Amino acid sequence: MSPEGLAFLALGAVAVITALAALLVRELVHTIMWIASFFVALSGLYFLLQASFLGVLQLGVYAGAVTILLLFGIMVTRRRIFSREAATGLSLTSLFLALLVIVLLAAVASDLAGASNSTTIHSYAVVDLSSALFGPYGGWLLLLGLVMLSALSGAIYLVREGRE
Amino acid sequence: MDLGTLIPQFLPEFVLLGAGLLILLGERVGLERREYFGALSLAGMLLAFLLVAADLGTPGMGGLRGVSAGQVDGAAIPGALYGFSSLGLWFQEFFLLAAGLVALAFLSRPSVERGAAVSYALLIFATLGMLLVTLAADLVYLLLALEITAISSYLLVGYTRRDPRGLEAAMKFYIIGALSAALSFFGASLLFGAYGTTSLSVIGHSWPSGSGGLASAGYAFLLVGLGFEVTAVPFHMWAVDVYDGAPDEVSAFLAGGTKKVGLFAFVLLFTVPLLLVGSLSSATGSARESIQLSLVVLALLTMTLGNLLALLQPEMKRLLAYSSISQAGYMLLGIAVGTAPALTGASLQILAHVLLKTGAFLVVAAVSALGIGPLVADWRGLGVRRPYLSAAFALFLLGLAGIPLTVGFVSKFVLFSALVQAEGWFLWLAVAGLLNSALSVFYYARILKTMYVDKSPTAEETAPARSGEPLGADGLGWGRAGAIALAAVAVVALGVYPQPVLGALGTAAQHFLSLGL
Amino acid sequence: MSDPITTASFLGLSGALLGIGLFGILTRRNFILLLIAIEIAINAAVLNFVYFAAFASTPASGLNGQSAAVVLVGLAATEIAVGLAIVLALNRLRGSINVTEATSLRL
Repeated sequence: MSPEGLAFLALGAVAVITALAALLVRELVHTIMWIASFFVALSGLYFLLQASFLGVLQLGVYAGAVTILLLFGIMVTRRRIFSREAATGLSLTSLFLALLVIVLLAAVASDLAGASNSTTIHSYAVVDLSSALFGPYGGWLLLLGLVMLSALSGAIYLVREGRE
Repeated sequence: MDLGTLIPQFLPEFVLLGAGLLILLGERVGLERREYFGALSLAGMLLAFLLVAADLGTPGMGGLRGVSAGQVDGAAIPGALYGFSSLGLWFQEFFLLAAGLVALAFLSRPSVERGAAVSYALLIFATLGMLLVTLAADLVYLLLALEITAISSYLLVGYTRRDPRGLEAAMKFYIIGALSAALSFFGASLLFGAYGTTSLSVIGHSWPSGSGGLASAGYAFLLVGLGFEVTAVPFHMWAVDVYDGAPDEVSAFLAGGTKKVGLFAFVLLFTVPLLLVGSLSSATGSARESIQLSLVVLALLTMTLGNLLALLQPEMKRLLAYSSISQAGYMLLGIAVGTAPALTGASLQILAHVLLKTGAFLVVAAVSALGIGPLVADWRGLGVRRPYLSAAFALFLLGLAGIPLTVGFVSKFVLFSALVQAEGWFLWLAVAGLLNSALSVFYYARILKTMYVDKSPTAEETAPARSGEPLGADGLGWGRAGAIALAAVAVVALGVYPQPVLGALGTAAQHFLSLGL
Repeated sequence: MSDPITTASFLGLSGALLGIGLFGILTRRNFILLLIAIEIAINAAVLNFVYFAAFASTPASGLNGQSAAVVLVGLAATEIAVGLAIVLALNRLRGSINVTEATSLRL
């Protein structure tokens, strides 16, 4: 097995285990640790796929900012900081959706089993990625800006302490 | 892509963006009264409405035209993220209509209220997202534009931040919206994996060749993700709670406006695969049938279950929410058939629903502002106490039931006759639709009976009207009364003389379908 | 043993992550956990985009996928900010952020 293959297996296993642990552990603060590890594992996968810009982005945005944001959310809702998540049973809808995912992907995987994979991983220079992002796909960035504008204008209002 | 070409093409969107930013700025410099923000929003929406009308080639408005005639319904440019179709521009007009009615009705909320500016700005941003969706030629563009609308509407639902019901509704809406976004983007990533592009027309034309299994799974995820958006059964359960908990005017906007945008996303996503594959070999033909069948099943479930649950509802707002779910089923049916007359019918049904549902929810807003309770039974004898308001509500209900001389009749007539024309088993869909319409008449008639036949509650039972500054127009407020009256006039006008709109929508639908080929 | 980096195995991984995210969204009651579950589900889509971009047939198509992944990362972060704003507003009102304790709306 190639070193890349080993790295993929290891990182994939870490990603699945940490994602599950983040949702299942009983202390909310531990959840944050697990989810941070999850983000780092994903970032490792991106580096493995030679998408280094995305790997760095993942580290900065998720492992950095989002984790801190979530930690901050837990701190502000402090009353419940060490609250335990009561174990809940599986709901029917979630079972249904989980089954849907498994069935669909199993069908796809069997579909692809015979297909030969091109084995070379393409890597793209950051320069090319940025000229794509600001060239043909500039519209996406503009839309993302509008999403952020509406999110910020509403979110700031919701959390701002104000006289009523 | 430079601003010199973007600004004229997207002039209506830029006008809305400018109005939204001016409102936020106005609040920062100390403007407080709702009237300023409302006037600014309405001016922006009206200007955008006129600009879109000019882009549609309305005679005598050539000077305002930003998109040249050749660009509308022109051949798709490879790799373009957006394109202009006359059907899309018509939908922009529908969305601006819904937003304008809601903005008008918003004027009747208390004049100095925290969040007046933010609520208007969010309403404008949501509308902006809706306009952008109609132009999508790219999958990621489409989902991002949907996300603008979605995020603005979560926050709009919760904008009365001291009202726990509104915030809880916002939370529920947010959870469902995020779930739907995650599923949709996962579907988009599978489609990208199958064909190596996010262009809607390339994907639609390639499917189901090549990695067909991957692409079919992608379509399935998108169907589920967007199914949440349009409240298709079995993904509908959130809608009733959210419509119930949201501020009344916002419910009107959700039911009359943002839900329709998901339906147009269905049109953009599924028209090309549905159209194209029918004429091809048997393997691809069966793939087409599978997607059509799943849309039809979704549509049938949605209209039947929505109607049955509406029959059982004692509360007015929840009843209207269920009826709104069932109406989405008719529109999905028109989209699933995929012929030009059916698409015309579905578009007209969407226009009808914009007017009828927005109007009906605004009447509910007016009635609850009068201090009348949430139950249908609380509306006893309203026909005597509030003759004009009741007459408008009765008109909206008759329209929803599809009674002649309202726009609801015209749209259902066009839709069902298109189903009959499409031949084969589609005939049975028309029968199912008619049976459902008959079913819906039951609960609409029950409300009419409550309003006009039952006796008013005695004086001790009626709650005192809410205190506050006295409002004009018979205690309703001019804004609310004006919006309801406008919707009612449009319902009758389009019901009596639908030919111009019908003809234009028919050509637009034909152009749209030929564009797909 | 053959090389494990195949489309099927990557789809298995992203499908598992999506499934975990969905499970979390539908069963967890603490809102912070819900936000985390949403992030896991969206990251599954990002992973797909990056994977398919790495094995794309042309550079243009690969850049298309990587750009989509970048935009999606930004979108997911925005979603979290909005979610947290709603949590904080609700927390100030209620002192609790458990979804099922928000009982004044019923199914």
